[in-house]
Amino acid sequence: MRSPSFFKVGIVMLLASLAGGCGHFGVKAHQRELLADRIMSFEGNAQERAADEHVLSNREGAVGATGTSGGGCGCN
Amino acid sequence: MPTGRPISGSRTVATWLALACLVAGASRAGAAEVEAAQRGTLFLEPSNIKGNAGITVFHPQTDVSATFASGLGIAAGYAVDVVSGATPRVFGVRNDATGRPVDAISGATKFSDVRQQVHGGLSYARPVGDVAASYSYGWEHDYRSHAVTVNTRTDVLDHALTINLSYTHNFDSVCDAANVDTGGIPLARQALANSNNCFKGTPDVATRSLNIDAVEPSLTWALTPRLDLQGGGTALVLDGFQSNPYRQVDLGRAGARPQETLPQFRQRYALFLRSAYAVPAARASIQAMARVYRDSWGVRAATAEVLLQSYVTRFLLWSLRGRATAQGGAVFYEDAQTYFLHGPNGKYWTGDRELSPMQNLLTGSQLTYLHIPEAGQHHFISELDASLKFELLFYRLDSVYAPNADRKFAGILQLAVSARF
Repeated sequence: MRSPSFFKVGIVMLLASLAGGCGHFGVKAHQRELLADRIMSFEGNAQERAADEHVLSNREGAVGATGTSGGGCGCN
Repeated sequence: MPTGRPISGSRTVATWLALACLVAGASRAGAAEVEAAQRGTLFLEPSNIKGNAGITVFHPQTDVSATFASGLGIAAGYAVDVVSGATPRVFGVRNDATGRPVDAISGATKFSDVRQQVHGGLSYARPVGDVAASYSYGWEHDYRSHAVTVNTRTDVLDHALTINLSYTHNFDSVCDAANVDTGGIPLARQALANSNNCFKGTPDVATRSLNIDAVEPSLTWALTPRLDLQGGGTALVLDGFQSNPYRQVDLGRAGARPQETLPQFRQRYALFLRSAYAVPAARASIQAMARVYRDSWGVRAATAEVLLQSYVTRFLLWSLRGRATAQGGAVFYEDAQTYFLHGPNGKYWTGDRELSPMQNLLTGSQLTYLHIPEAGQHHFISELDASLKFELLFYRLDSVYAPNADRKFAGILQLAVSARF
């Protein structure tokens, strides 16, 4: 993986996606019925998210960007 | 290696009683909502070498929280890791009688340990956001962790945008061999033999510090009535002892076998983008996530995840998850054969699989039962969820001489119940 372009791709992806929706700020309260459903929540169940991240943070070299923070040895 | 002393029964009972009292106290204090959740996760990572136990982790969690009409919230929880199995103490290759290299994982050492963590926090919700602070303490025979987290969330532009900012600081302590006679030479460092004297002040062991700062900003955008977007990142700075104190690495043909040595300082950065799209015709949603990661040790990774969720009936929710990660190795990582044949690449060496080039693939499914009383009915339990999840995690390493190459996959079984009162 080449270092300079690798991270920039992520930044461009993020900015392009956010910029793509300019002018669409107006999702009114009565239009949020679908967005309010539990299956649309990014956070989901906090306890489940903690358990999943506990597993993945010990089995992947990458961390973060998922709500997990903090350490723990994971030595084994 | 941790020696597997049994979990303290009186401390466990006291913790459970404290959590039960919190629920009862919150109810009596007139909390608008009380939630209690119990979850158990079983993680099994078998070895394909006959006689090796692999790794088994049982991870029960208990959490309770109460929210009051004033907007004040209180939460507490307790989690345990019961870890057992066999893991190699030495990362390296040896020659058998015919001179053929043999992976040292065949010499895996059995171990068991218990990790425990308690946490608690306060929150205050406003109409356009909330603030929260929490503290956690984790302990095991050879590791202790204090962590403080503050988090703030603010809605702007008529709730169309949500800005979230989180900061965590860890004050961690790691048990290590004292290594007082090494003269600062990493090749002379000996591994920790066991955790018997950890944190007792005996001269054969030392306590190393590890400080971690984590900042996580994110922005969530209700883009259309069907589409949510979220973007953000994480910056982690770790300063202190980060090696596995028990692990040794075979370096060179001369037979040097020092303790694993990692840099004291590590900066880790990640950026992510997530989307959630509603499919009302199927009573379903599709969530997708992409993440890029890099750190100052040279590890780079890309992750993609897709989550499909659908209501089978009003009371039954089904989900399907897929996740793939590809990563490169740390700059100082070599496989066991290269370490043996050529020695270390610089002054650091490791036998950590998560610092090696690898690809992970996770897939699984979850079924959740939702009990929500009809409107107008009043029950002591206002909501009840019960879920069962099973996932498989596959590892693909780039060498048969990579760490833990005998463990090709893991199974994850999770059972959970939560109730709102």
